[in-house]
Amino acid sequence: MSALRVLLQLALYLPLVALIGWFSSHPEFRVLPEGEALLRVSIVHATQRLRPCRERSPEELAKLAPNMRAALDCPRERAPLALELELDGAVALRREVPPAGLRRDGAAALYHRMTVPAGAHRVVARLRERAGPGFDFEREVALELAPGASLVIDFNAAQGGFLFKG
Amino acid sequence: MVHRIHLIAQWFFLRLEALFNFAFGERLNPLYYLGAISWFLMWIVVGSGLYLYAFFRTSVGDAYASVEYLTRGQPYVGGVLRSLHRYASDGVVLTMLLHMARHWSFDRYRGFHWFSWFTGVALLWLVYTAGINGYMLPWDRMAQFVTIATAEWLDWLPVFGGTLIRNFIFPEAVSDRLFSLLSFIHIGVPLVVLAVLWVHTQRVPHARTHPPLAVGATLLAALVALSLAKPALSQGEAELARAVTTLRFDWFFLPLYALLYRWSPGDVWLLAGGATLLLLLAPWLPPPRREGPREGFHMLVRPDNRILPLREGETILDAGLRAGVPLPFDCRSGGCGKCKARLAYGRVDYGSYQHAMLTEAERAAGKLLLCCATPRSDLEIEYEPQELPGRIPAQVWNATVERLERLAPDVMRVILRLEAGRRIAFYAGQYLNVLLEDGERRSFSFATAPQESERIELHIRRIPGGRYTTRVFERMQPGDAVRFEGPLGSFILREDSEKPIIFVAGATGFAPVKSMLEHAFARGLRRRMILYWGVRKLRDLYLAELPRQWAREHANFSFVPVLSEPEQGWGGRTGLVHEAILADFPDLSGHQVYACGSAGMVEAAYPALQAHGLRPDECFSDAFRLAPRIRGERTELARLGGGP
Repeated sequence: MSALRVLLQLALYLPLVALIGWFSSHPEFRVLPEGEALLRVSIVHATQRLRPCRERSPEELAKLAPNMRAALDCPRERAPLALELELDGAVALRREVPPAGLRRDGAAALYHRMTVPAGAHRVVARLRERAGPGFDFEREVALELAPGASLVIDFNAAQGGFLFKG
Repeated sequence: MVHRIHLIAQWFFLRLEALFNFAFGERLNPLYYLGAISWFLMWIVVGSGLYLYAFFRTSVGDAYASVEYLTRGQPYVGGVLRSLHRYASDGVVLTMLLHMARHWSFDRYRGFHWFSWFTGVALLWLVYTAGINGYMLPWDRMAQFVTIATAEWLDWLPVFGGTLIRNFIFPEAVSDRLFSLLSFIHIGVPLVVLAVLWVHTQRVPHARTHPPLAVGATLLAALVALSLAKPALSQGEAELARAVTTLRFDWFFLPLYALLYRWSPGDVWLLAGGATLLLLLAPWLPPPRREGPREGFHMLVRPDNRILPLREGETILDAGLRAGVPLPFDCRSGGCGKCKARLAYGRVDYGSYQHAMLTEAERAAGKLLLCCATPRSDLEIEYEPQELPGRIPAQVWNATVERLERLAPDVMRVILRLEAGRRIAFYAGQYLNVLLEDGERRSFSFATAPQESERIELHIRRIPGGRYTTRVFERMQPGDAVRFEGPLGSFILREDSEKPIIFVAGATGFAPVKSMLEHAFARGLRRRMILYWGVRKLRDLYLAELPRQWAREHANFSFVPVLSEPEQGWGGRTGLVHEAILADFPDLSGHQVYACGSAGMVEAAYPALQAHGLRPDECFSDAFRLAPRIRGERTELARLGGGP
């Protein structure tokens, strides 16, 4: 094998190996812009039922099969979950999500990701879990977000409503 | 438009391959083994992965530390293997994409190629799944990013709708079980990759699943050198409470993940789904192929004298290899010239190839490259055999005549014994060439099964005026020396089928049939076998008692003698042998036929049998004078040989 061929082989192999070596880790990818923080809202919540339970009349009960004669008629469908997020006085997110399931009787899930400039922020989160106007839960917090910080806004009614984790 | 892009891409590939040919030579050009290299790199990934898995701890607290130990605690073993694992995976992506691009450019993805193309697209998804999943295991910042990005991407689908991400954004939600699950996926998906790879290569006859040793060794050495020079490193332990800001990114596996944060998850789904759909449908999208007849074309291959069907878009090489014809080949990309053959009849699309491998003068002289040419009509191809079935090499032997026995007035049984107790390996049905003093040759079939390799039995029919056969009948004595070459020929018993066999023997064509039948009985083959032995007169059935005895001893065998000029009192079948077969089997579509006898007998039988459903690739013959004679026949098959 001539020296020229060996050189040529090297000349062809080196770029190939360099290509693999370089693109396996370069160029760097900036996930979060410099000087920004990450704010995510992740909520899974079972909202109120759309209509309350009512007592069946004796006539209604008589029309039902004996094994189906439950005293209460409870429609399963739940209300959509409405969320509003205010950031420094401006609405940053407003969304209404339906409950899961074919009969809309499951929990409603919501996920939203946004980046915000690092620094001090006033965040107000509001949530409605029933049909109609207004909100059932609200929480306002003042935050100091460092560059690259991560804030997750969760909701748990049993723990009092909104949870700010970061 | 697509055709134009094909041509441009072909030009690009051929120039690049020519450059590599100059550096590596045609036989070791890595660009000719892109699919095989993908396989090879996959094995490196599997091998290195097994070692890494032995040290990997599947828990939140230990996953990162165990990978760090591999990287820094044993840098020359664990560290190198980790890097090798990473770089070989990236290499798989690179070679797979190039392999795919080449097949698309050379229009090898349509027609019957669709299956390989389809499974190739599936492989692409599987390899990406395995690779992306692998990035989750070290539980560093990259793992954090990939895990969360995957969840965010999947969460866009209504079926998840924002619930999946909750398993990864709260530190308390990530448990040891996650790592067991990730490990399970990281072992399971590559196993599926290997299984689909196997399926993927089944459609291509004699597909290479490993590159030449030199190519593999060089690649491995290059990747090890890269692993030592630039080890794959973790990027700090995952911290779910902190956002990932900047990453050293693997652009082979993660380009879609970069888009995820420039576009929306829905847009990325649209891109990935749309591209996948486009790739899957590509075999049926324009431009339309030039259509051949619905039943496809046929090809007469010499010197095998086999007639084979050709599928739409199939290269002559693939069609031949699929039917078991030992056509010579190497690169399969028109770059080495090993598969050069002669086009004796018909029109082909010569395909794209390195012009140094097939010059204009060679093309004008009727040469073509089997790996590139596709049929445009019925064909007759002549190639130079490089090896015989089963890779038994032909060689020259010395033997002595042990016994002579006259079986009929014009048939002599000659028993030869090889010198020094040697044994010859051959396949039932093959023949030998007796070498005469002046260099001429006379061909005779082995009449015994390969199991009887110490003695060789020949049935020699006296040809009036024949120089050698006259000597056999008049002067040959036990103890005479005989030189011959063999074994030769590809007329052999194929044991890869369960179809009933019809043997058609004419006169001393019984000899190779006897060899095949004795071999079949010795092997215990349970297939139904019928022997039609056609001769002129009763005395020509020189060993009639032998097949009758086989019929008594083997329930799956029957014997039908057919006389064309019967004497008074003959109560058996009469007429031409193929007419007797057709009377017994009006539909031959479920049979194999092995025909051996005079050229006239085989020429008469072939078209008639095939007109009754016998598939061309289930029809085997030793009539080496078939091709020239077939030309004049006015049948569909006869035109194969070059008729108008």
